[in-house]
Formats: sequence, C-alpha cells, structure tokens
Amino acid sequence: MNASVSKSTGQSAAPRAVKLRLANVSKTFQNGTQTVEALAPLELEVKEGEYVVFFGPSGCGKSTLLNLIAGFEAPSTGEITLEGKPITRPGRDRLMMFQEHALFPWLSVIKNVMYGLKNEPQFRFRPRKQREAARSWLRMVHLEEFETALIHELSGGMKQRVALARALAPDPKVLLIDEPFPALDALVRGKLYGDLQDILTRTGKTIISVTHDSREAACLGDRVVVFTPRPGRIKKEIHVGLARPRDINDPKVAEHAGRIMAELEGQPDEKRTG
Amino acid sequence: MKSEQAKRSFLYVSFFYLLIFAVWQMLFSAGLIPDYLFPSPVQVGKRLWELGSDDYLLPSVKATLVRMAMGFSIAAAIGLGIGLLMGTSPIMNSCLKSLFLGLQTLPTAAWVPISLLLFGLSEQGIYFVIIMSSTPAVAIATSAGILHIPPLYLRAARTLGTRWYAMPVRVILPAALPAIMTGLKLGWTFGWHGAVSAELIKSTVGLGFLLNMGREMNDASQVIGIMLVTILFGLLLDRFLFGVIERRIRIRWGLEKKE
Repeated sequence: MNASVSKSTGQSAAPRAVKLRLANVSKTFQNGTQTVEALAPLELEVKEGEYVVFFGPSGCGKSTLLNLIAGFEAPSTGEITLEGKPITRPGRDRLMMFQEHALFPWLSVIKNVMYGLKNEPQFRFRPRKQREAARSWLRMVHLEEFETALIHELSGGMKQRVALARALAPDPKVLLIDEPFPALDALVRGKLYGDLQDILTRTGKTIISVTHDSREAACLGDRVVVFTPRPGRIKKEIHVGLARPRDINDPKVAEHAGRIMAELEGQPDEKRTG
Repeated sequence: MKSEQAKRSFLYVSFFYLLIFAVWQMLFSAGLIPDYLFPSPVQVGKRLWELGSDDYLLPSVKATLVRMAMGFSIAAAIGLGIGLLMGTSPIMNSCLKSLFLGLQTLPTAAWVPISLLLFGLSEQGIYFVIIMSSTPAVAIATSAGILHIPPLYLRAARTLGTRWYAMPVRVILPAALPAIMTGLKLGWTFGWHGAVSAELIKSTVGLGFLLNMGREMNDASQVIGIMLVTILFGLLLDRFLFGVIERRIRIRWGLEKKE
C-alpha cells in the first residue's frame, strides 16, 4: 500500500519498466523457541535503471531484505520477482558487493574481475575476451594500471573499486551493495560516490544499496526507502530529484539528508504496512 | 639484497656449527670413549666419502627420495581428498577427525610391523608406511584449513555464479591453500620418518638400509654419517622446497609480508 507505485520524480522520461517486485515479503527468524520478526510484510517495486537506497538504523532488517533479494535466504512469506521471474537462489543476475571487499587473495586484480565472467555463456572458455572485458571495467573504476597487482597490495578504497568492477563485469540486472563504504575515510568515499554515479549514468544499472548514513543515501539514491527498526517496515519513501553527479558536500544533498533523517527520527508513524 | 640482520644471523649460525664440530673433536681427542663407539668428525667424513666412492651413498639417497616422491604424492592426493570431504561435510568431519588425530599420534615406526605382515619384505611395504605416516597430517590440515575459510568468499563465489561442483577447485582449495601447504610440509616430515624407519628393516638400498648396515658392521662412523645425511636432506627439503613454496603462498595471500 505504501508508495510502491509512486511516480519517479526528477527525470521526466517515459515510465520505466519494473525490474524488481517484492510482494507481501516478510522474514521471521527462529531463535530457539523465540520467533523474531525481522521484516514485517512489505511491498516494493524497483524500476529499471533506478538507484534505490534502503536507509535505517541497524537492526531494521534492511540488510536482511538485501539478502532476500540476493537469494541467500528465502522470505517467510511473499515473493520476490526479477523481471517477472521468482528468485529462488543466488545468481549472477543480482550481484552483491559486500561490506568487506570479499576479493579472492589468490587471484590478481584482473583475475578477480574475470572470475564471474568465466560462468557467462558468451565468455566461457574465452580468456582473451574475458580479459578485455575485465580491463574495460577496471578502466571504469580507474584501476587499469593495477591489473596484475595482488589484492593485499591495494588500499581499502582500491579494493572496493575492484569489488565494484568484479560485481559489474558479468552485467547483473541488479547490483546490490551492502554498506561497502563505512570502513573508508571520507576522501576515498567521496571518490567512490563519484565513480558509482558515473557508472550509473553510463550503464543505466539498477542498483540497490543499504546504508545508515543519511548523507550517503541522499547523495546516491533516486529514491530512499526509510525503514523503522524491529520489525523492519517501510516508513516512508523519499524521492531525491537532484541532478547527477551529486557531490556529498553539496548543501542540497545535506538538505535532503536532513529530511531523510527527520523522517526516521521525529515524525509519528502514520504509514504502517500490513 | 640481504639485510644486515640476516647477514649477522648467518654468521652466528655458522659459528654455532663450527663450535659443535670443535667440541665433538675435542671430546674425541680426550679419548674418554673408545673410537669405534665414538668416532671423530674426520672419521665420519672419511666414511661418508668411502660410501660415496663405493657407490653406496648416492643410490641410497636417490632411492629414499624416489620412494618419498612417489609415496608422498599418493599420500598427498588421498589426504587432500579426505580433507576436502571432512572440510565440506560436518558428518564426515565428526566421524573422521578423531580417527585421523589418533593415527597422527601413532609413531611412524609403529607402521613397520604391520606393513611387514601385510607386504613382507617388499617395496610396497615401504610405500605403505610412507602413506600411512603422512596422510593423516595432510587430511587434518586440509579440513582445518577449509573450515576456517571466511564464509564471505563462499558467498561471493556463489553470487558470481560458481556452482557447487566447481567450488572445490575455484574457491575452497585455493582459499585453504596456505593451511594445506603447512599440512603437506608436516606430512612430508612424517613420511620421511616413516620411510627411513621402514628401510631399516626391509630394504637393500636407501638411507635406512645404510643406517642398519652400519649397525650390523659395528661401524659407528657410518651410522652417524648417514644420520647426518638424513638430517641434511630433511632440512634442505623442508627449508628450500616446502619452506619456499609455503612462504610464496603466504606472501601472495597477504598473510606474510615480503622482507
């Protein structure tokens, strides 16, 4: 019921197709004899090429929701469909960037980016094609000079950029990002936000990321979905209609961040689902 | 190239060994123990030289190394397989872990009598002892290494489209490789113990055979000389083969820094 079919603001292009649909999705965990409701039933649609940010305090179930979309866990009720097809297990069409970089230390930078390509039909057993594709993704994240480097030789920000390239290389339909930035310093994060928006505008990727940083949410999201804690439910969806690329230090971004924060903290909870 | 500290420690170590030989020579010169029981370093060296020129030493070193290379390869393959099974199946792990830990505590020489019963005085018996001695160490290290893989690697691999049957080759074994390498090194050492023990009794060539031959001829020089050769080869392989590989892997995986 809440805002799932709201129109996208900002760009006034033709209505975009629905990429991902969550219908009546909830998650409860069995903790011994106790049943913990992590996510109350919710409805949500994500459109083609949209950047949606799940925003909320820790324990609001936003990471759980991301895991459900990734297919690591199955929802307790409801169904998640990607382009109409139900999600049953993890797959390359929904690649996840993790909080820690999760790069494989036994592979060089470029081999890491090539990793997912080996399973793609059009790249299978074609190492040269894989390498070319990986190289172009490394160029996209400005790491083309580091293709033979080992993972532990890179800085934290560089590792996350390799992880981004690795997640994008198999051309997923949806890119899922689980708070990959808090471990980095502000300067590096600023650059990553820039890279991410650059990739978004260049490739038209559908992206969902999770954060508890309202500035990050306002800087990255076309739409920010605000969650309340325990059990997680959607409190409000906020559209950020600012032009891209946005700068994290832009006062307009800060203004939106303020709105998002206020939504989470202060106002009465009038938009209950279920 | 070499740091100042490495150079200095090389000097200390050389001095240490010179000291050992000097003390040994002095004890011999004091004449407290008869020389057929306690030979001098010079006598040991002379005996080794004789064994070398009589074409005993080299074929024996070669025989033991070849047996080890073959036996250990089989042991490593079996150990890796069992370790992979233990590392990926909790049921297998709980069943096999105590068994293999138990087998590992068994002194390697204890495999010799049963191998004599099973295989008689044959080459297979030596392989049997080598395999039984080194397999448990490899299996235990492999399973432990696999159980300590960060779950994140497995999740990342799954999202990137790696199917379960490709997991061992693409993720599980590479991720556990530093631990596996440590296990292989340990397995080699146990296998080496086993090989020499088995050769003592049932061989006509090999380091163990030369040791036993020395004892039968009451030749302490030969016994001590062959012991030194056995130590030397054990050390060389441990340091310069397994040690180097292990270090390279650890550096690549970011577990150890380059000097």
